[in-house]
Amino acid sequence: MLKLVATSFVFLGGFAIMVLEIIGARYLAKDFGGSFYVWISQIGVILIALALGYATGGALADRFQRAQFLAGPLAVAGLFSMLIPNFTPGLVRAIVMRHPLDRDIPLLWQKLDPVLGSTLVFFLPCFLLAIISPYTIRLAARRIETVGTISGLVYAASTVGSIAGVFVSGYVLIDYPLSAVFRATGGLILALAGLSLVMDRWLQRLR
Amino acid sequence: MKSLLLKRAAWCGALCLACQAPANVIFEAHSPYHLVQVIDEPGVRILSFNGTRETKMSLHNPLQGHFEYTEYFHTPWVWNQDIRRVLMLGLGGGSIQRAYQHYYTNVMVDTVEIDPVVIKVAKEYFKVQESPTLKIHNQDGRMFLNRTSEAYDVIILDAYTKSRYGSSIPPHLTTKEFFTLAASRLTTNGVLAYNVIGDMQDTRPEIVGALYRTMKEIFPQVYAFPAGTSLNVVLVATKSAMPFDYARVQREGVALVLRRKVTLPTFGERLRSFRNVPPRSVGVSPVLTDDRAPVETLMGGGGVAR
Repeated sequence: MLKLVATSFVFLGGFAIMVLEIIGARYLAKDFGGSFYVWISQIGVILIALALGYATGGALADRFQRAQFLAGPLAVAGLFSMLIPNFTPGLVRAIVMRHPLDRDIPLLWQKLDPVLGSTLVFFLPCFLLAIISPYTIRLAARRIETVGTISGLVYAASTVGSIAGVFVSGYVLIDYPLSAVFRATGGLILALAGLSLVMDRWLQRLR
Repeated sequence: MKSLLLKRAAWCGALCLACQAPANVIFEAHSPYHLVQVIDEPGVRILSFNGTRETKMSLHNPLQGHFEYTEYFHTPWVWNQDIRRVLMLGLGGGSIQRAYQHYYTNVMVDTVEIDPVVIKVAKEYFKVQESPTLKIHNQDGRMFLNRTSEAYDVIILDAYTKSRYGSSIPPHLTTKEFFTLAASRLTTNGVLAYNVIGDMQDTRPEIVGALYRTMKEIFPQVYAFPAGTSLNVVLVATKSAMPFDYARVQREGVALVLRRKVTLPTFGERLRSFRNVPPRSVGVSPVLTDDRAPVETLMGGGGVAR
């Protein structure tokens, strides 16, 4: 039961990350252009967010050891994702329009501007979502002897969630309004925040 | 036995088709966007992206051998006889750029092309030369429009690519927001010409219908020129609200030819493709917006709700 809850939790987290990444790349393309560099920066920035999120999540797990701790970061990630359609247009406009008008944007900035955009819009929610994987390993690992199994399961479930996120985004969600997709993903992440509180109560009783 | 023979014959046919034109790849490079190849066949040079033909050019006369649809980019003259500045989004092998340079020597052309390799290839292999009347910008089309303060009499869009798996179109160049931006960069009597690949007769949600409907939200009049030898359709949108019918278009065409404003030999013939009825899918196809532009699904044979 514990394994099932833990894997479902990280599955949904992995799913949300990839929806943000794929739908996000499409979303940024309207301002940064249909350029190859939009994809490069989106993939690169989100991998940076994941690396930092994993490291941070692991350290936090050792310190707090309570599932309810996750509610905070997840609530922030959820609200932030919901608000992406609200704050992004102005933000991205500022990035694009800072270059002098009527002159071609230098190649260096054609490459780096999308990195700036991806970072400002997608870094925070993906960083916060990445916290949950190592955190869940710590919560679900009862004994050192089974840490290998648990961490393998958590990695796999989170990756399978991400795979689902990629295909569902590309084949299904792309036909819906992008703003609605961001709001729904934000809603899903908020639900995960709620779930972490429920999990906490349940884990406390297990002890 | 007979069917076996037929099969054999079919196979031979296929093989011969493949070997009949000894293709000679004279340039090949992977750009960030495509596998770009320049292929010489007897008498013609071809620009190919990912194995499909984007541009054809006669090796004897660079003004010949191009795809028919590119000639519909001359039709804006019907609506605006005083064209001075033209913006072209998409360079490819430069068929239309070469034609404008040749036929309209006083027209200033800005061309925006996202792929640096394509720019290089157009210059080296397709006789496209930058000059005081032809400037090439290496940028995304929409970004360029966003950041220019220039006003154009005509904007020509040819940013389509094809592959064995179908066509693709940059989604951010199909939306209501994009057409609003384009209209704001057009002069009072400005004209927009947009190449799309699709089927005017399809009754399912479809890209031509969706683009027509989206353009109609911004431009008072939208017309179609379906090409005769391919599935290309050039949609022409005018800022002028004055409706043109078939007879009026032909009349204006004759006048342009007589006054030698347009000297393209096939101009009259091209104007006969004029349609002022919308694509049949227009009622069921969605208006495309930045928020929702499911172009992949629309080009993959429909299935998207309005």
